[in-house]
Amino acid sequence: MEMFVYIALFAPLVGSLTAGLFGAQKKSLMVGVFASGMLFTSFIASLLLLVQVLQGHTFHVEMMTWIKTGDFNVPFGFVVNEVSVTMMMVVTTVSTVVHVYAIGYMDHDKSFNRFFAYLSAFVFSMMILVMSDNLLGLFIGWEGVGVCSWLLIGFWYHKESATWAANEAFIMNRIADLAMLVGIFTLYWNLGTISYEGIFATVGTADHGMLVTAAAFLFVGAMGKSAQFPLHTWLADAMEGPTPVSALIHAATMVTAGVYLVVRMNPLYDLVPEVGIVIASLGAFVAMFAATMALVNRDMKRIIAYSTLSQLGYMFVAAGLGAYWVALFHLMAHAFFKALLFLGAGNVMHAMSDELDPFKMGGLGKPMMWTFIMMTLASIALAGFFPLAGFFSKDLILEVAFVGGHPILYTVLLLTAGLTAFYSFRLVFLIFTGEERYKLFGFHPHEAYKYMLIAMSPLLVLAIITGFTFKGGYYEMVTALLPAGEYHIHNPIVYWIMTIGTQLFVGAAVLYAWIKYKNAKVDKKVEAGFFYQLLFNQYYIPKIYDEVFSKPYAELSKMCWKLDNTVVDATVDGIAHVFYGTAEKTHTMQDGNLSSMLRWMVIGLVALIVTAVIFIGITVNADAIMKLLGH
Amino acid sequence: MIEHILSILIFFPLVAGVLGFMVNKDSIRAYGIAVSGIEFALSLLLWYVFDTANGGFQFTELMPLIPAFGINYQLGIDGISLFIVIMSTLITFLGILSLTEKRDIKNLIITLLALEMTMVGVFVSLDAILFYVFWELSLVPMLYIIGAWGGPKRIYASVKFFLYTFTCSLVMLVGMIFMAYLYQQATGQWSFSITEWYRVVLPMNLQMWLFAAFFLGFAIKVPMFPFHTWLPYAHGQAPTIGSVILAAVLLKMGTYGFVRLSLPLFPDATVWFIPVVVTLALIMIVYTAMVANAQKDIKQVIAYSSVSHMGVIILGTFALNIEGISGSVFLMLGHGIVSGALFLLVGVIYDRRHTKIMTEFGGLASIMPAYATIFGIMMMASVGLPLTINFVGEFLSLMGIFKVAPMYALVGGLAIIVGAIYMLSAFKKVFFGNVTNPENEKLKDVNRTELYGLIPLTIIAIWLGIYPKPILDPIDAAVRENVLNIMYQKIQTDMGTEAARELITDPYAKKPEIVIPAPTKKHATQSHKSEGGHH
Repeated sequence: MEMFVYIALFAPLVGSLTAGLFGAQKKSLMVGVFASGMLFTSFIASLLLLVQVLQGHTFHVEMMTWIKTGDFNVPFGFVVNEVSVTMMMVVTTVSTVVHVYAIGYMDHDKSFNRFFAYLSAFVFSMMILVMSDNLLGLFIGWEGVGVCSWLLIGFWYHKESATWAANEAFIMNRIADLAMLVGIFTLYWNLGTISYEGIFATVGTADHGMLVTAAAFLFVGAMGKSAQFPLHTWLADAMEGPTPVSALIHAATMVTAGVYLVVRMNPLYDLVPEVGIVIASLGAFVAMFAATMALVNRDMKRIIAYSTLSQLGYMFVAAGLGAYWVALFHLMAHAFFKALLFLGAGNVMHAMSDELDPFKMGGLGKPMMWTFIMMTLASIALAGFFPLAGFFSKDLILEVAFVGGHPILYTVLLLTAGLTAFYSFRLVFLIFTGEERYKLFGFHPHEAYKYMLIAMSPLLVLAIITGFTFKGGYYEMVTALLPAGEYHIHNPIVYWIMTIGTQLFVGAAVLYAWIKYKNAKVDKKVEAGFFYQLLFNQYYIPKIYDEVFSKPYAELSKMCWKLDNTVVDATVDGIAHVFYGTAEKTHTMQDGNLSSMLRWMVIGLVALIVTAVIFIGITVNADAIMKLLGH
Repeated sequence: MIEHILSILIFFPLVAGVLGFMVNKDSIRAYGIAVSGIEFALSLLLWYVFDTANGGFQFTELMPLIPAFGINYQLGIDGISLFIVIMSTLITFLGILSLTEKRDIKNLIITLLALEMTMVGVFVSLDAILFYVFWELSLVPMLYIIGAWGGPKRIYASVKFFLYTFTCSLVMLVGMIFMAYLYQQATGQWSFSITEWYRVVLPMNLQMWLFAAFFLGFAIKVPMFPFHTWLPYAHGQAPTIGSVILAAVLLKMGTYGFVRLSLPLFPDATVWFIPVVVTLALIMIVYTAMVANAQKDIKQVIAYSSVSHMGVIILGTFALNIEGISGSVFLMLGHGIVSGALFLLVGVIYDRRHTKIMTEFGGLASIMPAYATIFGIMMMASVGLPLTINFVGEFLSLMGIFKVAPMYALVGGLAIIVGAIYMLSAFKKVFFGNVTNPENEKLKDVNRTELYGLIPLTIIAIWLGIYPKPILDPIDAAVRENVLNIMYQKIQTDMGTEAARELITDPYAKKPEIVIPAPTKKHATQSHKSEGGHH
């Protein structure tokens, strides 16, 4: 079975390198098909491993030594257990779908081959991230997905906005990565190991303060990758990349890596509940904060991106409160319906010549019926209606907050659930129902290729069934490794009131969205209002960052350069000039005139003799002088 | 013959270089490639016969030169110097192989061979005077390369380079003579042998003076802030091959000097100076990275980035633990490979357009895809992406200094952020966007000659990032034996300071490997942990 571990891991790399070989050549369908095939291979291998894991086997392979010096020894080691296999399944499923879909989506792009090289490389990095048996291995994947994300956001590199967003994403992630490295250093010097096994074995007896430091720094690392406030601005800008990229990287997989890290390190976070509550609070804040920005945005992809951000907040609430399996379950369910939503948005963009403003669409439900159905179902799942995936996973997080005795978190999450339903259906209604506004702008929409729709169908099925079919079995499997906890509300009356109440509340939000946006009316007065502008401008945070960080950094850089020239270097030159100047002035002494040179010689001689006399005098009479000085 | 391999390595390029005057101008290129290729092969042979498990000096040669003053022709090599030598010969070989310079190529190749001799000489010398002679001699060919093949301000740049480094090296020479004098006072005999000096335990005040004298010589070579200003001029004016060797090898002499001399000779002073040196290194990392960010000329970006990266090497060296020092030595190699490649890459567009100003370019990714790919890989290696060569060294260096003080690692770690900022924005300016300048539309992608240099460096940068073990193991052994063990033994004497004893642990101490967790959960292990350390 170890063979399958390697196949699951390396098949995407083979696909990526093969596609890379043809990178600069003309579009070849075979490249896309081969890369997708490799992904499917990886998926099958992961599936077989899942079957083994369900039977209670886990796998741990060590490929070779990576870095070993002093007491530090890190191998390339990979683990397939209940947690990592979940992520492997999510990653390979979504990425296979996205690869097949992208064959159609990138059809007309001249850099078709290059796209698949990057996309498969991303999957490979992601697999390293989830399968590694130590923190540094995770860090390889962590940075690897960062680079692939950089390459893919800036895929259309002639666009200034795309390359800018790519750099922003990379640099912001780097800030968080530094924190992560510091977390790793802390653990290494205190526990002497950075393998999960080693950490978990020693963490129980370690100094509490140290654990808090390490857990906090690791979480800051997670915040970067999962775009938590205040490192969130890159995610919305990352929507500059091709839509399959947004679906795979910026919705389903990479951005959930931060959640995965917290879940994976659960024995550590279990010991530091004070960090956990910070994580949960920040998560709840981000859930609401991001949802509010999605309410008014006029960019289809950005709305979905904010929704992703908001759902990541939900996951962090669960993880922070110690309900790791719930976080992981929502991660999985979210991956399916959010990827579906993005791919649907991709279809719309294709139909609308890359138009993103939903106010210019309307009535697309007729020409694009299948996309309409899929996006609606994905939105239902996202909003958390029974019996789709979101109902089971998201309501569970609400229950976790409630049962855990965190009424504030619960309230925030509940309100956010309403906001989620509102913005999701605002988008659906604006795009697919009502007047056919697109005609005014001269678009001729058409449904996506049939095989793109077929490629999306597995996600549709999963978005529908994940909740009611997998939840029980999944709980059984994953709690072999993660702390078990049912988070049931034992009083049946309270339970039913809450469940039905939530459903009604969410339903009301959808209804409100329908009333408000069925005609895509724009209320000018509201739009001019302070709150609308605040939300529309993303709380002015990107602007603030630009003013407070980017511009001053550039200015400071210029100042440093100036300083380097005018102070540091000028000092060096100044010293040199003193010597040079002295020489310039004194070289006239040697003018070759015999009498003047003799004069200088006499002066020198006298000076020498005087010095000698003084010094000899001092040494000979040292005792006398000392006595004179009173010693 | 094999026991004299170090002498052969030193003098073969010199002899071949002198013979090169008789070679026809048309065949001098082939001759240069052959000679540097043989030299490189010899250095690989040295690796092959080198006992990697042994941390001590190997292939030692000893021949008295001036016995009255204890000056010997003493050579030897360990895991630290071995790979720097191999890197020097490799970079010279690849540099000549991918040489695109047209002007006066015969003299250039002969100069490069002479330079190769001095570089190898510095790294294999175990006699301070011999070390010093090669150290200073290396200035001459470089002075000539910048002065004769350089840009418009080449005379200013080369004289500045020469005088600045030469003056401060003189201070180091005074330090060396004083050290030999102290040896003579203690034993009645003069000795400049570094291995002999390793046996000398000095009182703290003398250590301080000597450390300062050596520091000045090394710091300028590195170059450490605020002594770095000669470097941007030198790089700005030097021809591509000059920059490649300057960045890849000559700067390493400084950091090598710290590891070979400063640390083992003056352990207590080293510990005392850590706050000073580390502060300078931290300034160097952040400040020069910001200066790099403000540059308009791509070669200056790389030049300043070199300084910034050297700061991380200094951090690792002064961590004074195995992880840190091994990491810093490994980073010396990594920086050599990566900065060498980056300067070669800058040379590619300079050859085509005769400008290095970034705004002149833009959109090159679509015109020169292979070039953009290699540049991209090397850029990622430069910012220390895992699975590239620089990550290993950077990670270990930062981890090492974390043990001295977490704050140092936190500030030093800014390198990975500021490095990404200037590199990515430079890359964006040159490669992304639309082609706005019509002159760029017809640019040819990298040609075969250029690839000869770039491909091997790219492969090494990735290979050693994935599998650093064959190099890290010998480095590890040498760091234990020739650096940390000497330091540790010295500070155990009465002369040793308390601060040093706290920081430097026995490199051969075995750590307990099996730890059974205590039955109760909390607070049971405070004592357990401190016992787990080193005795």
